[in-house]
Amino acid sequence: MPGIDECLLEAMRLPGARGAALVDWTSGLALGAVGEAPGGDQEAAAVEAAELARLAAEQHAFAPDPGEEEGGGGGGGRGRGEGEGDAGHDVGDDPPVEDLIISNRDSYHVLRFVRTSFDSSVCLHLWLARAEGNLALARIRLGEMAGRLVLE
Amino acid sequence: MTAVQTTPPPRLPVRSKAAARDRGWGGVSPMLTRLAAERATGVLVRERGSLHLAGGRVVHADSPSAPGLEVLLTAHGTVDAGVWRQALAETGDRHRAGHLLVDGGHLAAGALELCRLTALYDAAYFALAPSSTPGRFRYGTEAEADAGPGPACGCPMPVAALERETLRRRDLLHRIWPDPTTDEAPLTRAHRAAPPPPTSRQRAVLAVLAESAAVRTATDIARELGRPAFHTLVDIRRLAAAGAVRPRPPAPAETPEAPDVPDPLAAIPTDVTDPHITLLKRLRDALEAL
Repeated sequence: MPGIDECLLEAMRLPGARGAALVDWTSGLALGAVGEAPGGDQEAAAVEAAELARLAAEQHAFAPDPGEEEGGGGGGGRGRGEGEGDAGHDVGDDPPVEDLIISNRDSYHVLRFVRTSFDSSVCLHLWLARAEGNLALARIRLGEMAGRLVLE
Repeated sequence: MTAVQTTPPPRLPVRSKAAARDRGWGGVSPMLTRLAAERATGVLVRERGSLHLAGGRVVHADSPSAPGLEVLLTAHGTVDAGVWRQALAETGDRHRAGHLLVDGGHLAAGALELCRLTALYDAAYFALAPSSTPGRFRYGTEAEADAGPGPACGCPMPVAALERETLRRRDLLHRIWPDPTTDEAPLTRAHRAAPPPPTSRQRAVLAVLAESAAVRTATDIARELGRPAFHTLVDIRRLAAAGAVRPRPPAPAETPEAPDVPDPLAAIPTDVTDPHITLLKRLRDALEAL
C-alpha cells in the first residue's frame, strides 16, 4: 500500500520520466513532487497543471454531466436544487475525464485524474521525454498507480 | 532673493517582499516565523485556529472553520464512522487512529496521506488568516510532539511552505472574486436571469443552500458536503462572481441605529486654530511671498 511519494517514485521508473507530481486541481497545490519540474518551477507547474485539469473536468463538452439532462439548457439556477432534492449530496462525484495528454515537440505530459471515495480533486502529472517515453505504457501504468494510491 | 534650503524628506520605507520571501517570512505571522527559527515545540493558538509545532515544523492544524480529517474520511463512507470512533478510542489521537486503520486494511495509505495533507493545509489557511488579536504560544513537550508526525506522512510541514501556500490561496480567492464577505457570512441563493451553468460541485453547494432554511455559512456547507473548507470557498466565490449566491441580508430589526450619537464635528469651532493649520498657512504665505 503505497503513500504519495512511493507512488510518484514508481511513476519516475517509467521509461523517459522526467518529473511527476500529485496536484490538487482546485487549489493548485502540489501535494507531492519528484524529479524535474516542467518550466523549472514546481509551484508554477502545479498551478498550471491544475488549471488545465480543472478546465477539462468542468467544461461540458469534455465532461458531460450525467445528472445534467433534466435541468439543462438556459433554465438557470431556479428549480434545479429543488428538483434534485437529496441527490445534490452525491454530486461531489468525480469528473468522467480519465486523463489528459499533451504532446510537445520533445516531451509528453499525462495528467491522470485520481478517483477517490472521499471528496477530493487530485490528479497525477507525469512529464515524459518524448524520445524515450512510451505514451501508451505510461497511460496504463498511471491509471493503475492512481487506483492503488487510494484503493490500496 | 533668498533661497530657502530644506533637507529633503526621508523616503518612505518599503518592505522588500523579495527579501521577506527569502527569509521564509511572507508577513503571515512573524511570531510563527520566530517559532520556526527557534525550532519550538508546542501549540500556536490564533484567532481562527491553531497550529501544532514539533521542532519548529507544523505537524497538525485545527480550525473551527475547517472540517477535520475525520469529516473528510467519514462523510462519504471512505471510513465507517463507527470504525473511526473505535480506532480513535483505542489510540487516543487522530493521527494514530489513521495509521491503525491503514494497518487494519480499512484505508489505503495514500488515501490517509491525501486527506491528512488536505486537512492540514485547509485548517492552516484559516489559522493563519489575518486576525485582530495576538496569537498565543503554549510550549509543549517532546512527548506531545511524538504523537504528531508519522514516518509515512508528508508531515511535518515546514512553516515557510505553509505560509507561502496560505498567501497563494488568499490571492487565488481574491482573483476569483475580490469581495470576501461570502467566506464567513450566512449565504442565500440569488436568482439571476441566466447564470452560467454551475459545475457539479457548485450544484452541490446550491443544493445545500436550497434545502435548508437554517443559516448556512461556507463552513457549514463544507461540513455538510464533507469537503475541505477552502475548496468550498473557491466554489462559493465563483458562484458569487456569477451572481448565483450572495450574503444573506441582515434581519431588518438590526438596522435602526441609535440616533442620539453626537456629531463629532459639532464640537469643533468654525474658526480653527489648530497649530498645524496655522503653520501650514504661514508656510503658504511665505511661499507666495517668494
